[in-house]
Amino acid sequence: MSRSRSFSRSPRQSIQARFGFFDASQQPPMPIHSSSNPTGNLLEVTFPPAELQRSMSSNHASLRGMRRLEARRQMEETNYLSSKARSQNLNPPVDLRLLDYVTPYDDNLMCPVCRCAFIDPVVLVECDHCFCRDCIRQTWATTASAYTPLGPRGDCPSCRTPAKLGARSATSKILVNITDDLVVRCPNSEQGCEATVKRGEVQDHVGIYCGYSKQECYAEDCEQPVRRRDADLGCLHYNVTCFDCRETMQKAELEAHWKAKCPDRKVACPQCQEPILSRVLDKHSREMCPAVTVSCPGAVLGCTSRSKRSQAEVHAQTCTLAILAPVLAAQKQRLDEQEVVQRTMSRKLEVLESGFAAVEEILYPKHSVQAKEDDVRADERRIPLLLEDGDSARRRHTRLESTDVEDMDEQFSGFEFPSPTSSRPMSSRLIASLPPSRPAPPPPGPRPQDLPEPFSTDFDMPFPSAFPPPAAHGPYVSPLHHLLSMHEALRDELSRVSTAVQELDGRQSMHTLNENLRMREEMGYLGAQVTGLSRQVGWLTSTQLQRQQHQHGAGVGSSAGGGGMDGIAGAGAGVEAAVSAVGAAASALRGAAQVRAQARRGHSEEGRTKL
Amino acid sequence: MAGSNKRIAKGQELADITTNPPEGTKVKLADESNIFIWEVLLDGPEESVYAGGHFKLKLVLPTNYPFKPPVLSFETRIYHPNVTNDDKGSMCLGILRSDEWKPPNQIRAVLKMVRDILVTPDIDNAVEGAIAELYKSNRKWYDKQAKEWVAKYAGKK
Repeated sequence: MSRSRSFSRSPRQSIQARFGFFDASQQPPMPIHSSSNPTGNLLEVTFPPAELQRSMSSNHASLRGMRRLEARRQMEETNYLSSKARSQNLNPPVDLRLLDYVTPYDDNLMCPVCRCAFIDPVVLVECDHCFCRDCIRQTWATTASAYTPLGPRGDCPSCRTPAKLGARSATSKILVNITDDLVVRCPNSEQGCEATVKRGEVQDHVGIYCGYSKQECYAEDCEQPVRRRDADLGCLHYNVTCFDCRETMQKAELEAHWKAKCPDRKVACPQCQEPILSRVLDKHSREMCPAVTVSCPGAVLGCTSRSKRSQAEVHAQTCTLAILAPVLAAQKQRLDEQEVVQRTMSRKLEVLESGFAAVEEILYPKHSVQAKEDDVRADERRIPLLLEDGDSARRRHTRLESTDVEDMDEQFSGFEFPSPTSSRPMSSRLIASLPPSRPAPPPPGPRPQDLPEPFSTDFDMPFPSAFPPPAAHGPYVSPLHHLLSMHEALRDELSRVSTAVQELDGRQSMHTLNENLRMREEMGYLGAQVTGLSRQVGWLTSTQLQRQQHQHGAGVGSSAGGGGMDGIAGAGAGVEAAVSAVGAAASALRGAAQVRAQARRGHSEEGRTKL
Repeated sequence: MAGSNKRIAKGQELADITTNPPEGTKVKLADESNIFIWEVLLDGPEESVYAGGHFKLKLVLPTNYPFKPPVLSFETRIYHPNVTNDDKGSMCLGILRSDEWKPPNQIRAVLKMVRDILVTPDIDNAVEGAIAELYKSNRKWYDKQAKEWVAKYAGKK
């Protein structure tokens, strides 16, 4: 198309034609194109680029005008789009991206951004990549910040080539036709419409033909929406009550209510076709429906049979695994319980063992060669407080040594010891190895493996004269002696702990006392300060009053002398009241301090008695 | 935002990735009602030092996905130059940076990328400089450390 023809139009049209150059493909339905290009070739309306640039940069005013026109163009576009949307009265424009496609389409027809079949596709001239128009605009809207009066521009989302949407961006008609010919399900398919239409016709289907889309009620004075298929039934906008659940609603909504919401209406079970109340349908299909396929109750044991619930029972009667399943389940439960119990028991045992080991450690430190080796490990476990215990035990043993040893030996000679040979030679060797300076070597710790094996039988045996604590030197002749000595050691320990506690108690009370004294001092100091402050306040008020009086006296003169005197007296009383109030506050503070100190003292005493 | 996040709203991408997940990954919604937060279970690639580890990742899609990149973070701790060494486990992945992100990218590609950097850390874009340094200087020690962390945090649950 020639330039002269463009210029021959009215100014507004020519500007629109210029925009057509930038963005012609964005508004194909603009009347100007259809009128000026009966052939539909958009390129014919354009200027040569050089011409355009010259006209653009020629003066500043034209640029401003272009901005205004850009705004106007945008407004026109949105108006056009919204009017198009509104023309389908009560039905919102179909969102093509949410449609359910019946024809499969491959990746080549898919926009890489929205991953749908192309909707209004455009090609970026710079790199030949193709996108939906909405997608490319939105991509640029979220990334580009600059104002772009020359139409949308940005980088290609696929290859980052700088690109813009221009007149050449329209894709070939073939691609548009292919995507518009994809068959989709009607968006009202959930309401019951079973139509499948071409994507390009779906808007018309919903707006004109679909019986499940809404339209205005034909009745006079009623503008409420009604389904198209119900429109001929007369006005359905009067209230009715559902027979089943007694809910009130409009007649037009009754069917939808029955279909989906009404809890007291029977619906056919999708599996067994039995009418079931819809609120128990869930439970029915889960637990009762005979048509639902269930697995054999023996599935946990490996039975792979799956059958309808009605036949499953027959199967279960013959299936060995199904018969065994409850028994095994009970067994498993018992096993689990036992395991839990056993775990607690083993834990207890562990605690006891470690306690026993600790006691043993305390009683017989570093005796055997093995014990020395073990000591490295043992020392880590030992509580520092108990470290001296070995010494105390040793002391005690020397004390006990005075008891008649031979007597003891005689007593025990008749008594059969389970495994005397295991401990005797070891002990003698140990005694020899100890330093000679020590008069009575402490007994070697019977190591666990040295202890007589049947522990309990020892206790059951008659033991007439062994009760006075036996001699401690040499190996323990029986576990009873061992236990007694342990008992002795524990008693020692206890007394030491109690002295430590007493000491702590004393220290604690001392500390509290000190703290108390400090607090009391502080209180006294605070009280003194308050009194000082009260005095200052008294002085200040009195001076203030005096000054006021002077002024008053000067103002009123001598005639009002009596009144002046009265004023002084009143002021004096006021000052006195203020001073006494401050005094009272101070005494209250002091009282509070005392109360607190008493409370503290009481508390500390209480603590001491507790300790 | 009409038509913006159809990719999520229609569950296309999620359905695709849950039915046919990339090798060594499992994807599900962390919370069935929120389609924007995904939970990814990733097995350490066999050929990497993270073999045998099971890592839990959180993938948060922005509301204007795919125009903005998703945010990926390791919930299981991992010793890796490209993952911050704290509770957040934020990831530095080239294609997840907002200036690098391209709307045609798919989550599938992102997850593949994660597996790739587990095999070969992206040292030049490391977030944990110390680990990157160690990776370059003392590879053996790095391997040992990474394996220890796998055993400590990413073992079988």
